[in-house]
Amino acid sequence: MNYFNFFKYWRTVLIVAEMSIRTQLSDGFVLFAIVFQPMIIAILALFMLKDKGGDFAMFVVVGSGLTGLWSSLLFVSGSSISVERWTGTLESLVGVPTPFDVIVFGKNLANVFQSLLSMVFSYALAAWIFGYSLTLSQPVLFFVTLLLSMFAFICFGLTIAPVFVMYRSIQQWQNAMEFPVYILCGFLFPIALLPGWTTPISYLLPPYWAALALHGTSTARMPFQQTAFCWIMMILFSLIDLAIASQLFKFMLYKARVDATLDVE
Amino acid sequence: MNTIELSNLKRIFRAHIGVFRRSIKEVVAVEDISFEVQTGELFGLLGPNGAGKTTTVKMLTTLLIPSAGSARVAGFDVVRQANQVRKRIGFIFGGERGLYWRLSGDDNLRYFASLYGVDPIVSKKRIPYLMELVGLKGRGNERVGGYSRGMKQRLHVARTLLHDPDILFLDEPTIGLDPVGAREFRTVILNLQSEKKTILLTTHYMFEADALSDRIAIINKGKVIALDTPAGLKKHVSDLSVVEVETYGVPETVLGSLRALPYVDSLSVEEHEQRQMLLLQTARGAEAVPEVMSVLQGTRVGRVVVREPTLEDAYVRLVGGQV
Repeated sequence: MNYFNFFKYWRTVLIVAEMSIRTQLSDGFVLFAIVFQPMIIAILALFMLKDKGGDFAMFVVVGSGLTGLWSSLLFVSGSSISVERWTGTLESLVGVPTPFDVIVFGKNLANVFQSLLSMVFSYALAAWIFGYSLTLSQPVLFFVTLLLSMFAFICFGLTIAPVFVMYRSIQQWQNAMEFPVYILCGFLFPIALLPGWTTPISYLLPPYWAALALHGTSTARMPFQQTAFCWIMMILFSLIDLAIASQLFKFMLYKARVDATLDVE
Repeated sequence: MNTIELSNLKRIFRAHIGVFRRSIKEVVAVEDISFEVQTGELFGLLGPNGAGKTTTVKMLTTLLIPSAGSARVAGFDVVRQANQVRKRIGFIFGGERGLYWRLSGDDNLRYFASLYGVDPIVSKKRIPYLMELVGLKGRGNERVGGYSRGMKQRLHVARTLLHDPDILFLDEPTIGLDPVGAREFRTVILNLQSEKKTILLTTHYMFEADALSDRIAIINKGKVIALDTPAGLKKHVSDLSVVEVETYGVPETVLGSLRALPYVDSLSVEEHEQRQMLLLQTARGAEAVPEVMSVLQGTRVGRVVVREPTLEDAYVRLVGGQV
């Protein structure tokens, strides 16, 4: 992908995101993935950590939001191209002058934005139902981290969708990919609790750096150098993901036009 | 000046078959197709199911890569310069798919206008204009899922015209429409033709191709078997008349006997529930009727008409022996 596409097509990205949100708001599965499942996880965790204090509650709020982000990325963004194919709209999208990866970027933006709702719902749950007093320890750094995390998740999603389209055998493992990432990326508890050999795997997963920085800036008063390192890692992974996605999209579209798989009919 | 040029275009589909012993089966959808469409021309592409019409259109609209040969649209190669082609064309594939059913008609158009790079200020004016053009004025804020088939087809036309392309590919656009909807649709196509758009139309309906097309290519088994104006194609059967015989429950053996008559050039049967319409092409005209009736003795016969041949008869003669 030409990275300048995003500057040239920013308006298109926003319209794609808006239309995706409008379409998905009437989809029961999407609502489950981004609203109900993270809320169930939050309720369970808040019960388990009952009486441990506001910081733990904030950890749960951020952690359940991250679970919503990952689930949305894995299931909704991961299947976004396949869904277009099944509904017969993929040919209409490939046949327009806008680069296809720009369209998928807009769709991922919508998914990530919707997933943040799960963080808001979990916050409301912890504050109003469980009565925790929730405050962000480094609010400015937290929101910068949140924006970078959204970008990192979107870029990671760009690599997943074409892989799932080209290699359906990998998509069969979609369900099995959900919880290991929750665990390995430290969404709901620190990875220090895991065996040492898993740590390098965590370092290779972009969501880990997002989780580390989001937890650090929301509850732990993370030193700025450490936060900045997480930001650098997120940007680095995002650029790598964009470079990989660029090649994957090129190959996927060429293969689909050779194999005649843009449509299921 | 040619807007669309195809040169020895070929497309092979490869399908994996078998579960344990996997093998690849090759199907030649387009064997060798060459023709040119001039600027501002309405060019019809006719052929039986599986002749390669849709495959040809998909290659021209950059959605399929040809296995061999080349094609240029608006002077750009459909493989190497696909994005240049996409900016200049609009396409419709028959049926209801290709729209977002959970979005309103207006939102569908706003979405595609953005994807075609139409300036938001322009699209704000163009969307109501197009909705009125296709007869959907006042229905734009309804969800597409609630539209009838005809409304969806018309929305497809509006979507196709968003960026005001000079070249349109209409693949069986009236399929599944009721007669009134199809007639309205043809009026829209004629309006587009009057705007000097270059249109490539595929259809199963001969009268539609006859009424709309400047020139028609008939393709069968992936090859062009005839290319001419509708009047020129009809000359293929100018020596013939058509005897139409309405029957009820005609046996296969009788059809065989009719085909065997020396002066019957071709025989096709249109099934209408319990009724069959036999269409015999013959050089003898009305003189053939008594002998045909004698072959049909014992079969319930209704109306018998002898008429001049149409484009459909020319098509049957050209394709009939090769299907």
